[in-house]
Amino acid sequence: MALRIQFENNNEIGVFAKLTTAYCLVGIGGSQNFYSVFEGELGETIPVVHASLAGCRIIGRMCVGNRHGLLVPNSTFDTELQHIRNALPDTVKVQRVEERLSALGNVIACNDYVALVHPDLDRETEEIIADTLKVEVFRQTIASNVLVGSYCVLSNQGGLVHPNTSIVDLEELSSLLQVPLVAGTVNRGSEVVGAGLVVNDWSAFAGMDTTSTELTVIESIFRLNEATPSNITSDMRASLIESMS
Amino acid sequence: MRIETCYFCSSKIYPGHGIQFVRNDCKVFKFCRSKCHAAFKKKKNPRKVKWTKACRKTAGKELAIDPSFEFEKRRNVPVKYDRQTWTKSIEAMKKIEAIKQKRQATYIMQRLRKARELETERDIKEVQRDLALIRSPAAGLKERKQDHVIDEDIRESDQEMEGVEDGGEVVL
Repeated sequence: MALRIQFENNNEIGVFAKLTTAYCLVGIGGSQNFYSVFEGELGETIPVVHASLAGCRIIGRMCVGNRHGLLVPNSTFDTELQHIRNALPDTVKVQRVEERLSALGNVIACNDYVALVHPDLDRETEEIIADTLKVEVFRQTIASNVLVGSYCVLSNQGGLVHPNTSIVDLEELSSLLQVPLVAGTVNRGSEVVGAGLVVNDWSAFAGMDTTSTELTVIESIFRLNEATPSNITSDMRASLIESMS
Repeated sequence: MRIETCYFCSSKIYPGHGIQFVRNDCKVFKFCRSKCHAAFKKKKNPRKVKWTKACRKTAGKELAIDPSFEFEKRRNVPVKYDRQTWTKSIEAMKKIEAIKQKRQATYIMQRLRKARELETERDIKEVQRDLALIRSPAAGLKERKQDHVIDEDIRESDQEMEGVEDGGEVVL
């Protein structure tokens, strides 16, 4: 189920939150409202953590991570790094990277297996991504935009990319990532999908402006409806019974 | 809060002090005071300016390569908080600091000891060269002359004796 939320009257929630299958980071805000939505939805399964990076709350654009690790930019303070380390589970590796392009969330898009990165990213950073996040790294652009993290949202189930992506590009990216992709928008036509949407394998949060059509696209491509109890009884029943017998 | 080191003179920069410069390639230069910043703006190389730590280290005046320097570093991988390690590392820091001070001091003393050796060597040479200033070459000249005369007398008598012996052989 995808939820519509706002961060202090701002629809670009991908900027203020980072969601993965193992943890969720939320920017430190003036009110508890934004945090509470995440806590209510995810609190029982994964840790939801207040965080800031380099004194800023735009953590969604500054850091990148998946269930294996989290990369934070060079400008992160020691205390913030320590706080994140203490709050996240031990299986998640945390590392600070010395990279010129410090908005890592904008230049890297990843799920648990593959990552798309900005073509100008350092070779050393690429290696760190491969080691820490345990992913295969591809240098790519999306609809001739170098900021792959801003124009692409990935989960292990699917991905949403910039609306101007051509069919050929879409197929190429899809075969590279091994997940189905769809071109689409969030927040009533905003093409910066990375900023308007955060997803993991079983949940999604979009900006308050997102239309129901957009939300339907998001739910279908990230397969958010399939894990509901009614689906288990109807769709999975046959296969379950087969395997039991 | 981190206590940074100055790019130019390697001194400590406490919070609220100094100035920093970020170059186009994202490298950050931190300066402890306007003196260092001005030197940087003049494109001075810290290794070639005599009063900097970098210069002293490259010139071999101070301890530059030592495992004790490996502890104080900017680390990118954090360690989970644990009270035990925390207290232990604080204890260790004090010990390491003491060891580091000691090593640096011995390094400098070792370096100065070389000079002491050279100095004594030079002194010996000087004494040998200018011995005349301490002890006149004329001192005891008379006695030596007398000795010389006696020596000659003995030698002459010897020669006479030899001549006799030789003569004897010839006769035979």
